[in-house]
Amino acid sequence: MPQQALQHGAAPVAIRSAAWYLPEHTLPITDVRTLDETERATRDALGIDTIRADDRLSSVTLAERAARRALEQAGLDARDLGALVMVESRVQETFLSSEVTQLQQRLGADNALTFSVGGLGCVSISPALLTARGMLAADPALDDVLVVHGSKPAAALRYRHPVTVNGDGGQALLLSRSGRIRIRDIAQLTDGRYWDLFHVDYRDRPTAQWREQCTEPSTYSFRLAMETRNRLSSMLGDLLRRNGIGRGDVGGFVSQNLSAGSFTFIEDSLDIEMLPACRHNLRKYGHLGPNDVFLNLRTALDREELAPGDLAVLINVSPVAAWSLLLVETGPQEDVA
Amino acid sequence: MNDNITEQITDFLSAALRRQVEPDDDYFAQGLADSLFALELVTFVESRFALTVEVEDLDLDSFRTANRITEFVRRKTDAPDRGVAHAEGV
Repeated sequence: MPQQALQHGAAPVAIRSAAWYLPEHTLPITDVRTLDETERATRDALGIDTIRADDRLSSVTLAERAARRALEQAGLDARDLGALVMVESRVQETFLSSEVTQLQQRLGADNALTFSVGGLGCVSISPALLTARGMLAADPALDDVLVVHGSKPAAALRYRHPVTVNGDGGQALLLSRSGRIRIRDIAQLTDGRYWDLFHVDYRDRPTAQWREQCTEPSTYSFRLAMETRNRLSSMLGDLLRRNGIGRGDVGGFVSQNLSAGSFTFIEDSLDIEMLPACRHNLRKYGHLGPNDVFLNLRTALDREELAPGDLAVLINVSPVAAWSLLLVETGPQEDVA
Repeated sequence: MNDNITEQITDFLSAALRRQVEPDDDYFAQGLADSLFALELVTFVESRFALTVEVEDLDLDSFRTANRITEFVRRKTDAPDRGVAHAEGV
């Protein structure tokens, strides 16, 4: 059995290189617009000090800049890339056009099998990884899959009551069968009853009037919250069991960066502690959608919060509703791209 | 027993929300509840009354007042007794 093969038999997938692009412009949280005093008070209690924001950069540009870095780190020419998978933007610049083939063209990834995945908010990184793993397992001739995402807010306001503040950022993960960060398992679950809990009405109104709405705040703060506790707890138990490990074998947990309260909620729900990198990145960058968990993992490695060879569990939750857990094994830090 | 359950719950709610909570106060409608409070509340109910709140139990109406929680606790904790009584009657 290859070293990377999972105990429960899934195909190996690993990160060969990883890169992020964060705009230079830093916006203090106090400059992020809110609509009233209640929103302002909630915004100021999120645990976010600043975000990176550049309204001139599109999602595709953010993804492109990260992609170029990831390819350069791996020494891979874009023309030799086997597949390009974009986690879809929350809002496309135009209808009917294709952002992912725009990115293909910009990168010159002419020979890459190219398409988008999504539909699960922050959790959409998981179907992208599942897709990459499936393609690598199914096609022996395929060596690399580049998974990219450019994170921008969907609505006119970056503040998303009562959840978080979105920053801008691009991420690119170059996936292969082997690498220093091995994705040992992927668990994902959805519950369609929440599909419309948060939405942005956009038809027949100017972009400046696009507002994200939570249709039932009490459903968000109670039912979905408690279902998240139960689902994640059950999923974590299953994930550890099927990999033949216990909680003590996990070197660290990370989740997406929504708010200090959301970290506490997951910590209390699962009786775990997040790695400090999570709160560090929340303070600096706010929420970067599907890009948060691997950025947090990278920061944790840089800050030596994880030791080489450690296992980590990456937790993602989306109110659509979707939950995912990623079990990853880290390699020597000096070799992490 | 009802009064005792309700009293334990109102004591918890008053401490958690830092205000006096009456048995029929709807703290969700009053905007006092967030997800951390919900977690604290459900965890309290589970541990104090030795029950498990499953996904199918997550009806907000069962948790929006102390009296509703009392009814929920009674439903959850009475269920095994009814099962035993039914079995004995067969």
